Amino acid sequence: MGQEEDLELYRSRLLESLSSRRRSVRGSSDPIQVYVNERRVGELEGAGIGAMLQVQCLDHIETVQLRTEEGTLLGGLAAPEYGFRMQRVRLSADTVELCVHNTAQGGTFSALLSPAPTFWSRVRKSIADVADRLAAHRPDAALASGMRTVAFTQALLAIAVVGLVADRMTTWMAPEPTPSPAALSEVRPVSQIVETARLEQQLDEVARKQEQLGDALGDALGAQQKGMAQLQQAMAKLSSTQESVETSVQTVRQELEKQQALVASREVERAVNQLSSKAQMRHGQIETAIHSLTVDNDRMSKEIAGLEQYNQDLKNKLLAVGLNASKGVDSNADKQARQAELMQPAQQPQVAQGAQTGQAQPFLFWVTFSDGTSQERIDQWVHEMKGHKGALNEGWQEVQIVPPAVPPDRFIEQIKEDKIIKAARIGQ
Amino acid sequence: MLVTRRQDTVSKSQTMADRTATASRLEEVVSTADEFDQVVLQSLPMLLDRATGYTKRFLRETGQWKDDIEHEKFALRWGSEYLERFLVCGRSEIPCRPLFLFDSLVAKQHSKPDPFCYHPDLLRPLGRFVDGLAARAVISRDALIALYRHAYGWGPGEVIAMTGLNGLESQRIYKNFRRWRENGWQRTMDEMGLTKAEIAELGNQQQRHRHRFNSEAERLMRVAQAHYRKSEPDHYPCLSRSQWGEMFAEGYGCDYRIWHLALCLDCMQTAWGLGSNGSTIGEKPRLELQVRP
Repeated sequence: MGQEEDLELYRSRLLESLSSRRRSVRGSSDPIQVYVNERRVGELEGAGIGAMLQVQCLDHIETVQLRTEEGTLLGGLAAPEYGFRMQRVRLSADTVELCVHNTAQGGTFSALLSPAPTFWSRVRKSIADVADRLAAHRPDAALASGMRTVAFTQALLAIAVVGLVADRMTTWMAPEPTPSPAALSEVRPVSQIVETARLEQQLDEVARKQEQLGDALGDALGAQQKGMAQLQQAMAKLSSTQESVETSVQTVRQELEKQQALVASREVERAVNQLSSKAQMRHGQIETAIHSLTVDNDRMSKEIAGLEQYNQDLKNKLLAVGLNASKGVDSNADKQARQAELMQPAQQPQVAQGAQTGQAQPFLFWVTFSDGTSQERIDQWVHEMKGHKGALNEGWQEVQIVPPAVPPDRFIEQIKEDKIIKAARIGQ
Repeated sequence: MLVTRRQDTVSKSQTMADRTATASRLEEVVSTADEFDQVVLQSLPMLLDRATGYTKRFLRETGQWKDDIEHEKFALRWGSEYLERFLVCGRSEIPCRPLFLFDSLVAKQHSKPDPFCYHPDLLRPLGRFVDGLAARAVISRDALIALYRHAYGWGPGEVIAMTGLNGLESQRIYKNFRRWRENGWQRTMDEMGLTKAEIAELGNQQQRHRHRFNSEAERLMRVAQAHYRKSEPDHYPCLSRSQWGEMFAEGYGCDYRIWHLALCLDCMQTAWGLGSNGSTIGEKPRLELQVRP
């Protein structure tokens, strides 16, 4: 057989199986397997009594399927994403009522198997219907079952009594030949005896019928009690199933809670670790900054002390020069000394500038520095220019220097060539 | 020759016209269950081809397709599965447009992780046999019980002893065995597309190279079981021997014992001997695949 034929045969077999699926039958006593979301969750025992199955899922219920033990799909439903859906599935004479309810928290599902009524249950129901009609005026629903039985008995007794009375009346009204008074005295006791016997016989019949009725009622009551017992058993089974389901759900919830708590604690731990590592890093950075600041501070203190000392010396010298001038002594040596002192500020710009102000007008210009230029580099540049920084206005830094040897424009062009200088100008 | 060709052409165009008519009927709204049944049952071949086509496309897109008869059969099998579910569950979606509902059902199946058990070795006759048994066991109790027979060669008595079942449950096991022998096995073979010749060849292989046959079957069985065990509820994990022991001793988890032990070769080894009240029942079971029921 060729592969094409093999495949075609397989296809037609599958189609045949799908078509004949509806004709498949289930044994009345076979349990029905219940699948929720294609997972087996339990079974409905179909041994002629009602059965119920309830399932609670953490996930949404998508599909419900009923299958035989052979695996034949009997029925099912596709559940909505949210809300209720009910479906009645008829399995030969039995009926299974499926109900699904999906919420945000998950889904619940229940299946109720109602078996087909048996012959005796149908007979019992018919009698009960008749009795219901007779006792329709009885208002108490709780006593309805008992009332039905009593009403039925009363009706039967009434029919029997009416029958007896009619029989008696017929006998008495019947045209009989009037006997002679002599014969009457003899005949009357005999007829009375016969009548009494007949009456007794009829009473016996009534009693027998009453007994039969009693037996029938007993049977009916027995069957009812049996039904009640079966119902109680089913209820007990149902409640135990429900308990076990609840226990399972509780266990699953507890496990979920534990897992959630575990996950939460892990997340907290991880966050704390991250925070502590960040804090440690920042702490280290701050320590480094503090250390560098301390070093700078020391250096600055030393420089300030040196500068103060130098200022003091200058003051002393100026004082001495003033005194000499007042004395009219102006030796060349003094001039040389003064010139030497005036040359010093080039090496000590921060202080000497003040000393120069009285003698030479500083050259002022404004610069902006390239992005990312560090303050240290700027200070270094100013130092190299032998100048000092002035005001800072909208990114423009004022710089004062000793007037340059080249013309100002040329000087500005020169400094613009420096990498750290973004722009430079003379005026503000 | 010319006449035959013309007839073929006419027949093809007729088929195309029928298909178009069927598709248009399926696109219309159906309002009752009877109407749904009628429309869908008339369109079974077309719907089967449609589902098969979608499955092929899924296999191609996931890099699992190959142009051979095994893959064609695999796609047909899953197309048929989807169609069966649609026939039953679609009725609860009425009123609906059957064609669109069917497409959405197949799309939903294919959007699930691992929608079906695919492994290239499971497409060969031995693989298909093993896959068929495990897949059927998930939806049929008869097939599930039959797994004990096919995997270890056991009869009902041994299954009852191993799983430690009581009297009422035992009766069901006998029933399961009977039904499987009567029609369950044949039906599974048909649904897996295993021909008589292939089954006979499996029997020959088993007899000629028993050891190799069984070790290959065990490897494939593990692949299949790992997939199909997902059909058990989530709280049905593999247990330790002490946990199994507790379950057997206290007599609970009857369903669990039957379902899990049939679908787990390792747990079968773990729980071996617990069902027979501690009495020695011989060596631990090894997989010895039986082809016939």
